[in-house]
Amino acid sequence: MSLVKEFTKGLVKENPVFVLLLGMCPTLAVTNNAVNGLGMGVATLCVLFGSNIVISLIRNVVPKKVRIPCYIIVIASFVTIVDLLMQAYAPRSLYEALGIFIPLIVVNCIVLGRAEAFASKNGVVASMCDALGMGLGFTLALVVLGGSREFLTSGSLFQIKLIEGWSNDFMLMGQAPGAFILLGVFLGIINWHAIRKAKKAGQSYTPPGLDCSTCNLCDLGED
Amino acid sequence: MSKQTNIPVLVISLALIAGIAAALLGWVSDVTKVPIAAALQENNNVALQQVLPAFDNQPANETKQVGNVTFYVARKNGVVVGFAGKTISNKGYSGEVTVLAGVQLDGTITTVIVTKQTETPGLGTVVCGRTRKKTISKRIKGIKETGLPPNPILDQFRGMKATSGQAPWAVKKDGGDLDAKTGATITSRAVGGAVFTIAESFAQNRTELLKENN
Repeated sequence: MSLVKEFTKGLVKENPVFVLLLGMCPTLAVTNNAVNGLGMGVATLCVLFGSNIVISLIRNVVPKKVRIPCYIIVIASFVTIVDLLMQAYAPRSLYEALGIFIPLIVVNCIVLGRAEAFASKNGVVASMCDALGMGLGFTLALVVLGGSREFLTSGSLFQIKLIEGWSNDFMLMGQAPGAFILLGVFLGIINWHAIRKAKKAGQSYTPPGLDCSTCNLCDLGED
Repeated sequence: MSKQTNIPVLVISLALIAGIAAALLGWVSDVTKVPIAAALQENNNVALQQVLPAFDNQPANETKQVGNVTFYVARKNGVVVGFAGKTISNKGYSGEVTVLAGVQLDGTITTVIVTKQTETPGLGTVVCGRTRKKTISKRIKGIKETGLPPNPILDQFRGMKATSGQAPWAVKKDGGDLDAKTGATITSRAVGGAVFTIAESFAQNRTELLKENN
C-alpha cells in the first residue's frame, strides 16, 4: 500500500467514527458544538500522531509479552503532555468544555487500536501517515457531528448564529440523546449508500473494519 | 521466539520505558507550570474584572472570608474602590451555584455573574449565563459589541441594597420583587438568595472591611 493510501483511508473509507465505530465516548459526549468537536479531534490527532511514531520506533525492541503495557505508557504520556499544554495555552472555555474527556483519550479505542493494528507492524513513515489520516478522519467526523448538532440546536455554526430569528434552543439536539439520534442517522445513510453501491456492482456487502486486516485482537492471547 | 519467558528482560524493558516516560513528563510539567498558573490567574481576573470597577492590584490575592462569603478587595493607586463578594448557594436545582457580585463601598450591588453551576441546560443555564450571541448579520456589517452581555435576571440586582430587608430579594412567586425565568424558578431563587447573602454580609461587616483595608 502506498503512503498516500495509508493517509487517505482514514478520511473516508475507514473513517474511525462513521465506519470503524471506534472512540464513541468522546464522539457522543463532547460534540454539542463544532468548536468542541474540533478541539477534541485535534487533541486526539496529536496523541495519535505522537504515539504512532514512538510505538513504531520501539516495535522491535519491546518484548511481545509486555507490549500492551508499554503502548499504554507511551499513549498516557502523550495524553498528559497534551492535557498540560492545553491547560497552559488553550482558551479556558474550551479546556473546561472538554473537561474529563481529555484525560480519557488514554482509553480511546482508536489510539490503542492503531498502535496495535498498524504502528506495531509498520515503519515510522507509514505509521505517521496512518496517524494523520485517522486523526483527521476523527476530527472531520467530530466537526460534522458537532456542527450538525449545533445547527439543529440553535441555528448557529462555530458559535455564529446563521438563522437569527431562532431564539429558543432545541435542547434535545444539544444533549446526549441528540448525539445518539444524529449519529444513528449518519450511520444509516452511510451504510445504505455502501450497500447500494455493493449491490450495483453485484457483490455482497461486508462492512469494512470487520475483517482481520484491521483487527488483530485474536493475537492478544499468543506469545 | 523462545518458549521460556525471560522475566528480568520483561521487567527491565517495562521499567525502562516507564522511567523515560516519567522523566519526559517531569520536564513537560516543569516547563508548563508557569504558563498554567498564569492562565488560572488570568481566568480568575476575567471574572473579577467583569464585576469590579477598574483596579490595579491583584484582588485574587487580597481576600477576606466573612461567614460563607469571600470578599475580594479592589484597589486603584492603593485606595479601595470596591469589593466583590463570592458565595456558593446549595439551593440550586442540581447542585451548587457559585455567584460573584460586585459591591460598591456603600453596599450597593453592581454586576452579578454566576461563575460555576450545573443547572438544567436550556432553563437554569439561561438564568446563569452571560454569553453574547454572535450573528451572521453583525459579522457582515462589522458590528463589534464590547462590555458584559446583558442577562435580564442577573441585571435586576443592579442598584439593590441589603438595608431594605430580605423581602424584595425573593422571586415574585414568593412575594418578592424579582422576576424569575419561567421554568427555572428554583435557580432564580438560588441566585437571588446568594446575592442577598453577599449584600447582607457586606452591610453587617462594612465598617470592619473598610477599616481593615485602608
